[in-house]
Amino acid sequence: MTKGDKILIVIIVIISIVSLIFVNISVFSYQEKFISVQVNGKEIKKIIFDSSLIGETVPIETEYGYNLIEIGDEKVRVIEADCPDQLDVKQGYISNVGEVIVCLPNRLVIEIKGMDEVEIDRISR
Amino acid sequence: MKGIKRLIFLSLLVSIGLGLSIIESMMPLPFIAPGAKLGLSNMVILITLVVFDIKDALTVGILKSLIFTLITGSVTSLFYSLSGSILSCLLMYLIYKKFSSIFSLIGVSIFGAMAHNFAQVLVASIMMNNFRIFSYIPILQLTGLFTGYFVGLTSKFVIKSLKKSIDKIFYSND
Repeated sequence: MTKGDKILIVIIVIISIVSLIFVNISVFSYQEKFISVQVNGKEIKKIIFDSSLIGETVPIETEYGYNLIEIGDEKVRVIEADCPDQLDVKQGYISNVGEVIVCLPNRLVIEIKGMDEVEIDRISR
Repeated sequence: MKGIKRLIFLSLLVSIGLGLSIIESMMPLPFIAPGAKLGLSNMVILITLVVFDIKDALTVGILKSLIFTLITGSVTSLFYSLSGSILSCLLMYLIYKKFSSIFSLIGVSIFGAMAHNFAQVLVASIMMNNFRIFSYIPILQLTGLFTGYFVGLTSKFVIKSLKKSIDKIFYSND
């Protein structure tokens, strides 16, 4: 362990923590938020949080795989997936704008976005 | 004779890397960040880089990614692991050759972990067409710091004893 190593570690810790704080600050600058479900880069579903939707589950079935997401009170999680590692299930709830659940094998991204875009439709069953 | 010995050593390193990858895939670190891994197989690439050369390290890294894809059967993860191992291998070589007076193997390994994380996030954001994934980088780099530190430490011990036995094997009169 040389002096250069120690300096490198300190610099990386500082940069990571600063950028973590930066990411968290940009997260809190939104008021309304919604869930954006993207498969292979294309947004296939937008879901606005609503008290009537708490506890609802939404199956997402694409050519890449199957995931089941559950909507909670201003939060969302994946409860079932057919991918081998199940990392998206293990991640649990996300609730802040900018947070994402990614399921690489199924090319699925579930993102919470701030309401700055128009043309949002509600979930229909 | 030397060529065969070298071949056997490199294939042994590939299989060690594969074994480490399989063990690693059985114990992820779900409590820190999804996708964060110990990067144990990075150890093999680092060891090859130091004991042999950049060409052999690249061979070992690419072979390891290809065969690991054959084991797990997920083709998409091939791109992630391939890009990660190639970029980390190149960066580790650069740091090891040019800056070895500043950084020890621990620093080299940390640079490798950083490059690995960066390449994987880059490939993921290109494949998913979503650059928001870059918000994962700070937490990935923080975990990469710890895993990189221990990978470097372990490699240092392995290389110390491996170099002795390799000298014995390769330069004995046979």
